[in-house]
Amino acid sequence: MALAAEAQERIRALVDRYEHRQSALLPALFVAQEAVGFLPPETLAEVASLLELPPSEVISVASFYRLFFLEPVGRHLILLCTNLACHLNGAEAIGRRLEERLGIGPGQTTPDGAFTLRESECLAACALAPMMMVDRERFGPLTAAGVDEILDRHRGR
Amino acid sequence: MGAESILLRFTEGEGAVDLETYRQAGGYEAARRALTTLAPDSVIDIVEQSGLRGKGGAGFPTGRKWKFIPKGAPVKYVVVNGDEAEPCTFKDHLLLERAPHLLVEGIVIASYAVGAQRAYVYVRREGYLARERLEAAVAAAEQAGFLGDRIFGTDFSLRVVVHTGAGAYIAGEESALLESLEGRRAMPRARPPFPAIAGLYGKPTVINNVETLCHVPAVIHLGPEAYSALGPPALFSVSGHVRRPGIYELPLGTRMRALIETAGGLRPGRRFKAAFPGGSSSAILTDAHLDVPMDYEPLKQAGSMLGSASLIVMDDSTCMVRTVARAVAFYKEESCGKCTPCREGTYWLSQVFKRILGGQGRLEDLELLAHISRGMKGGTCFCLLGDSVPPALEASLKHFRHEYEHHIRTGRCDVEEGVGVAVGVA
Amino acid sequence: MGQRAPADPPTVTITIDGRPVTVPQGTTVWHAAQSIGIDIPIFCYHDRMPPLGACRQCLVRVEKQPRFQTSCTLVAEPGMVVSATTPDVREAQEMILEYLLINHPLDCPICDKGGECPLQDQAYLYGPGRSRFIERKRDFAKPVSLGPLLVLDRERCVLCWRCVRFGEIVAGDHALKGFERGPESEINTPFTQPVESKFIGNTISICPVGALTSRTYRFVSRPWDNAAVPSICNHCGLGCAIWLDVRDETIARVRPREHRAVNDVWLCDLGQFGHEWVGSRDRLTHPLIRREGALVESSWAEALDLIAAALETSRRLGPGRVGVLGGARLSNEDAYLVRRFFREVVGTPHLDHRTDARPGSPSLEIPWGMRAPLEAIASSSLLLLVGCDVAEEYPIAWLWMKRAVDRGAQLCAITPTHLDIEPHLFATLVVAPGAEGAVLAQVAAAVEGRQLDEALLQSAGVEPATVRPLAERMRTATRPMLFLGRGALERAAGVGLLASALRLQAAGCIVHVMRGKGNAVGAALMGLLPGPSGWTAPEILRQGAAGELDVLYVAGADPATEVPDASAWSAARQSTAFVVVQECFLTETARDADVVLPALAYAEKDGTVCNLEGRVQRIQAAVRASGEARSEGQVMADLARRLGVEWSAGSWEEIFQDAAAEIPGLAEGAVLSPPPLAGSWSADGGLPARPGDLVLLTGERLFDRGSMTGRSPAIAELAGAPSVWLHPGEAAARGVGEGSLAEVRSAHGRLVLRVRLTDRVPRGVASVPRSDDAVPVIRLLNWEAPLLAVTLHPLHPATEGPEEAAAASPRAGENGT
Repeated sequence: MALAAEAQERIRALVDRYEHRQSALLPALFVAQEAVGFLPPETLAEVASLLELPPSEVISVASFYRLFFLEPVGRHLILLCTNLACHLNGAEAIGRRLEERLGIGPGQTTPDGAFTLRESECLAACALAPMMMVDRERFGPLTAAGVDEILDRHRGR
Repeated sequence: MGAESILLRFTEGEGAVDLETYRQAGGYEAARRALTTLAPDSVIDIVEQSGLRGKGGAGFPTGRKWKFIPKGAPVKYVVVNGDEAEPCTFKDHLLLERAPHLLVEGIVIASYAVGAQRAYVYVRREGYLARERLEAAVAAAEQAGFLGDRIFGTDFSLRVVVHTGAGAYIAGEESALLESLEGRRAMPRARPPFPAIAGLYGKPTVINNVETLCHVPAVIHLGPEAYSALGPPALFSVSGHVRRPGIYELPLGTRMRALIETAGGLRPGRRFKAAFPGGSSSAILTDAHLDVPMDYEPLKQAGSMLGSASLIVMDDSTCMVRTVARAVAFYKEESCGKCTPCREGTYWLSQVFKRILGGQGRLEDLELLAHISRGMKGGTCFCLLGDSVPPALEASLKHFRHEYEHHIRTGRCDVEEGVGVAVGVA
Repeated sequence: MGQRAPADPPTVTITIDGRPVTVPQGTTVWHAAQSIGIDIPIFCYHDRMPPLGACRQCLVRVEKQPRFQTSCTLVAEPGMVVSATTPDVREAQEMILEYLLINHPLDCPICDKGGECPLQDQAYLYGPGRSRFIERKRDFAKPVSLGPLLVLDRERCVLCWRCVRFGEIVAGDHALKGFERGPESEINTPFTQPVESKFIGNTISICPVGALTSRTYRFVSRPWDNAAVPSICNHCGLGCAIWLDVRDETIARVRPREHRAVNDVWLCDLGQFGHEWVGSRDRLTHPLIRREGALVESSWAEALDLIAAALETSRRLGPGRVGVLGGARLSNEDAYLVRRFFREVVGTPHLDHRTDARPGSPSLEIPWGMRAPLEAIASSSLLLLVGCDVAEEYPIAWLWMKRAVDRGAQLCAITPTHLDIEPHLFATLVVAPGAEGAVLAQVAAAVEGRQLDEALLQSAGVEPATVRPLAERMRTATRPMLFLGRGALERAAGVGLLASALRLQAAGCIVHVMRGKGNAVGAALMGLLPGPSGWTAPEILRQGAAGELDVLYVAGADPATEVPDASAWSAARQSTAFVVVQECFLTETARDADVVLPALAYAEKDGTVCNLEGRVQRIQAAVRASGEARSEGQVMADLARRLGVEWSAGSWEEIFQDAAAEIPGLAEGAVLSPPPLAGSWSADGGLPARPGDLVLLTGERLFDRGSMTGRSPAIAELAGAPSVWLHPGEAAARGVGEGSLAEVRSAHGRLVLRVRLTDRVPRGVASVPRSDDAVPVIRLLNWEAPLLAVTLHPLHPATEGPEEAAAASPRAGENGT
């Protein structure tokens, strides 16, 4: 999937932001990911060529970080924190609720493509434990009923 | 927090997000004073005298760190570590979201002190609001002449670039952060050379945590003695089984019990069982340590550490085996894979825990856990991530061995069954 | 680390396990321990790359330091007190091994690394007696093939990162990388695609476990069953030192042999995997003579009698009616005897090994080779490639250039296509085909401070603004070097190229003539060049075509696929009564010969060869001769006897001594560099006219399907089908796409080729590298017009399937003139 001219332009502009070209790689991958939805091989190759980096290096880097998606993801990404503060406050039960309601396990995407569910490490919002992020928004302290409502709110979007 | 608070006074309510609010609270006056009345070396001396220590976890004296930067180097950098991903540490996020100008002002002063003309702030990706507000603050400060060319009419110019990570805890390790900022896999670098000599792009670089730099304006404003007389102050992240988890600004040395009380105490009907005083990489303490002062030395003497000052409180509903297993799982998930003991040790430990929690434990597994853990200590690992695993694990084996044994013998959890031994009261 | 500086370096003294050791400043503790015989186990450290400190195997304890230290990264400081073998250190080392082994499979009995495996050895020496690991080992699909050369077994990998860093630091090709992270980390290519590298064999050599193994050596042998014979690679001309590992009279594998000044410890993949031809079933085993139009087996006596009779007849007709072509595949000793026989006994001056030069080529005017040793490249601060695709033609020279670049040198290129090493280049001047010489003349002018011809540069496709800084750097560089490549010498440039090179030499530049494969430089040294009033190779062919030759003797060359004009060769062949070919295979040339003699391969004979530096190196007979094959030197002695001259049946040493008596400085190990460029050449700085809208470019690629490489299956697979490389835009405009079949036609011939797309080739250019002897690009060429236009048309796949294209050859009637 070729990147749109606008995304290409944004990636080129990123290079000027840094003193060294490769520093633009992480932000460039996010630009590409937002444009395409995830990072298929041809998009990764395109980013490599825009930044004049070896494709193998670009893919190696992309595979290291958890927020680059080398496989398709749903329209909404749920990051359920299961680290200590949330663990102590019942994240496991929230997780079970999410799995029941979505009909998928962690790491999976609902068949309608609405949600991808992931367990996450600490999201630095421990006062909200147990908490999760849906896309860019934080939710917590979560209850089973609260989870249902949040899912309903996002499902149509 | 009231008048004594030097940081949280900017975060109360809606915080001091816009430039005007921040300035009305005295914002950028410390920077103005530093740049227009103090020599860079004097700024460093003041920071050193204040006793300010790094708030990222290692607690290295900030002034001394700045002194390592070679004076004559033509290009130097200030890099701000805002990758806050240490479990149950959430103070930097609060500062970035509510008091972004406080950080910008700290960056201006630090950059002036070490002679850097460019600063990079590395914010973790999930901090969307933090990044947005910080970028707005940088733009507003540039507009107002607090950043950019010839700040306050001096010869000093500074550009600040906000950068985000992409989901890797190890990027919070300072040399791995530099790798990540240079667009590579966040894998720690060998030291020497230290970042102060060859850091970002091989140039002298000072790397400071967000909170650390947020203290700097107050240090300049109050002077080193007055600042130090406040404790010195620190932000504590309190989470877990307390009624009001959150960020609290208290003097270093506040007792653990008092901190728990400040955070609303335990939930009704629950008893204190244990706590991580300094995040998941600190050794777990029990009720015997409730009166330990939350400060570097006393916690070290208690066999633990202050780390990022993140108190994770556990009451008597907590299964220690599960909790420690969760902490180990975190390190396994976040190990970069560069060095053998961290990569294989976290993998092996996780496997053993999975077996014990799955009812397939053997009593000799306790010796095995200790054995694997011992191999990850004392410099066998490349960086401190691997070293972060043994303290909590070993403390749990020491203080809560019976819980492990119950799991192994019965295949079930004594806490869930309510047969656990009651320990202490808070 | 640990290298000694020339002048009395400052030293430090430390104590290791109670023993004092004094080492040069900057030495690591690991090297210091090594120097007094204390062995500290390692995995990730490799002495050709900076230490990494990742595997943690080499942990030591240093007094007053609370934490273990990795001895490979730790630099010795005065007074350091180190424990390397104390119980606590041993325990830590043992623990690291235990960690490494938990996920390592117990498949040593079927692992190719078995018997030469550092992990096996270290586990034996330092490992725990038993493992406490009872869990499930990490599992990966195994093994996976990463192309024709490499097999990857991720389960065996201990993640030492050596192979990844080799690609980043040594080769610069980033072929293998780490993916994922933590315990999920794996070394691989992106998406397990075939590896793209010219040096991947080295990762097999440096892998400390059996994670990277060779596809060609898979299950072939155990190290203890191999006899390792030192030899010299015969391919590109750089003469890399190799080990031939021989089992049952077969070369089981080739490994790099350390030679600090040539290949260090590395080898390119052609050198490492291009050896299977030696044991090919296609090897000629008996002499063949033409009888009633067909080549039939004969005895040596009969074949030699025939040749001797032909030579005798020619001698009676007069002197100089015999031509000799070839030599690059001969040893020095063979070349020496060929020269002596033909010059002294037959009495002809018409000898030349330069069969692939065109008439008027500047390469016929100058000695080939390097005018400074390879290792001098690393200390040069400016390297200019002119029509020299160094990584394809002389891969190991690229590794030296990479070192120079890493030390801050600027590598620049004047080239008609982008090079795949371009990311490492400081400046790439992509010029119009054939414009290398004209642009170099401008560079020379700029170095001399003269005015640039901006209009000329612009029509050559070069921004004048890029030439000035390049010239400025040349003026101030230390040991600047110019590499005149085959492309510049043979494409369209005239002797003006040499005039420019001479000017740059006068300005302090070292001029290397990067020309000649195998033992070409040795052949020249031994005299396989025109004697007094002798003809050059193109002239020999022309005279042959004009009926001026009675006998054409070809040794170790295949003019039918090498002469850059297919019709020139066939005309010479047609008009020459008697053609003799000595070869390993029935090549295109041999097929048309009157007598064919089976030759020895380099691995079947003793002697010496010279590389491009003029370095004299020894080769050894490692395997038995193919059938009745004989060396060229032996044949010369046999023929001399028949012509009434008795040569003592000398050993290679005796022949070498004879040669040394004639050639000053000839000695094993000596480096006989050619003299600096000298001559007077007119400066024709003009641009050649563009012959049409699609210009044909030819060139060499590392992997092709020649008579030897085509019979080395791994190399032949890498070479792929004969192809024409086009810019994607050019291809789209002409209605062809990646992989489609196209007919490429010049005024002289046509070929059916597979289209490959690459943006390395500019628009308006069709690049057809020499690839398959059966589909020789020379069929399109005419050596009078080095710059040619071609047309390109899609072929409908329905009528010409892929199989047909692969098999397409003149004999099949598909690719013809």
